[in-house]
Amino acid sequence: MIQVQNLVKQYGQVTALDRVSFEVPSGQVLGFLGPNGAGKTTTMKILTGFLYPTSGEVTIDGLDVLESSLEVRRRVGYLPENNPLYGDMRVDDYLRFVAEIRGIPKSQTEGALDKVTHTCGLGGVIKKSIIELSKGYRQRVGLAQAMIHEPEILILDEPTSGLDPNQIVEIRDLIRSLGVDRTVILSTHYLQEVEATCDNIMIVARGRLVAEGTAPELIARMPAGPICAQFVGDPDGIRHQLGEAFHGAQIDRVPMPGDEENGLASFRIHVRQEVDRDAREAIFDLAKGNGWKLLELEREQATLEDVFRKFTTSETPVPVGSEVVAA
Amino acid sequence: MTPTITVMKRELRSYFLSPIAYVIGAVFLSFVGYLFFQMLFIEFGRAAQARMDLYFYLLPIAFLFLAPALTMRLWAEERKLGTLELLLTFPVKTTPLIFGKFFAGVVFIAILLLLTLPYPITLASLGNLAWGPVIGGYLGALLLASSFLALGLFTSSITRDQIISLILSIVALAVFYLMGSGLLQYLFSARVVAVLTELSPFTHFNSIARGVIDIGDLIYYVVFCGFFLFANSVMIEIKKWQG
Repeated sequence: MIQVQNLVKQYGQVTALDRVSFEVPSGQVLGFLGPNGAGKTTTMKILTGFLYPTSGEVTIDGLDVLESSLEVRRRVGYLPENNPLYGDMRVDDYLRFVAEIRGIPKSQTEGALDKVTHTCGLGGVIKKSIIELSKGYRQRVGLAQAMIHEPEILILDEPTSGLDPNQIVEIRDLIRSLGVDRTVILSTHYLQEVEATCDNIMIVARGRLVAEGTAPELIARMPAGPICAQFVGDPDGIRHQLGEAFHGAQIDRVPMPGDEENGLASFRIHVRQEVDRDAREAIFDLAKGNGWKLLELEREQATLEDVFRKFTTSETPVPVGSEVVAA
Repeated sequence: MTPTITVMKRELRSYFLSPIAYVIGAVFLSFVGYLFFQMLFIEFGRAAQARMDLYFYLLPIAFLFLAPALTMRLWAEERKLGTLELLLTFPVKTTPLIFGKFFAGVVFIAILLLLTLPYPITLASLGNLAWGPVIGGYLGALLLASSFLALGLFTSSITRDQIISLILSIVALAVFYLMGSGLLQYLFSARVVAVLTELSPFTHFNSIARGVIDIGDLIYYVVFCGFFLFANSVMIEIKKWQG
């Protein structure tokens, strides 16, 4: 269980974190989303004890990160941003060094080494110098380093940055398998990644927590998407009628292939407000009343990308818990 | 104790894996070799005495450049590459990390000094070498080098740029050299000069190298190293607050 309360971090005049509070229950995989410079890395650096907070309280399993720093660090495995490694060392020597400095008993070191070698798929490169490795393998070495002492908590700062799509899928699978029986906090720029791996998502922007929830919850907080409809009939007449029915709505003709030849008309309707009933019902009734044949009627779903853009681009961040006004 | 040794082993390995150690070692040993033959063929030939005065007279100057070159990367490079973030998030206090890096430098210099042992042994076989000053000289050299390493390690913790660390420590050591050289008597009163002279690691080396091993000189080096190693840990804490 990780508890963060009113966390503030200032770098000189710059406020990197501004009263951030959150909780991560044991066993959860939490995804940190946010633009560069939003405060993701700073939060992680404080959780791992690399930086001290300006104010606020951070506890891990009830242990304060400042007062019980060593005990906290013992329980946490950390993959820092950009995955720093001692390039001049061999993979096995490096992992032995980490095991030794983490105080893993000599008798257990080889067992621990074999285990992470297997989990992270390092078998083929274990005798190689780190500097010779590809980025994907380096990332695995970084992960192996973070989990060699079997920590209860893994903190991974952009574990998949700079990897190719195949490597991303591999590392993602690895993280998901790690998250089965431990707490994981990861930060990323890839939205599919949090959807695929995380139980819970937090969006940070300008040092503040602006949204929190599961992916479906966050998407549900988005305003209703536009409605796409395809009719058989005269495009101009239909557009006129739609305009009458939905006052002030933006109605775009969508040039679908084959529409012209087959006498079809496709529209995307951005309804401003749905008060009493679903706009799709109104469109259906309108089509029925005018005798148009309705071929398709669908509401476009908001994506996590829309959520991300909404929460991270607005000038004044929307505090967590406030209602999203329907468009 | 164990983390100190773990870090020391890693740093020593890194010295020997990088070309820096070999370049520094080669430059140092050729300098010492030159001094030795200078003594053997000119000084020793003329005075017909087996002595190593010149060697121990110039050794501090060699260390003034050598020690900063050995310590400049120890923290600065970790900070630059980000590996510091790993090091400082391992469940280890800062002190063993500092000691590990410090003793890696001390061991490296001790190895270099050991490699120069054939010179006094050769001298002893040729003439009647007074071992007292030689043993004192070697001990003094190791203490002197250690104090330089402690200072250099501190300057490396200030910055992420190795060259800045190198320059800072060479300048600081040059100031200490001046303090011990007696040149300052033209600038300050006798009392001030006496204090400044006493504060310089170079001064204390000279008395040990004469073969007089005084407990006061030993304590001086322990305090000098302790001061800069402590300053080093303070600097690391400050950077944790500053970010």
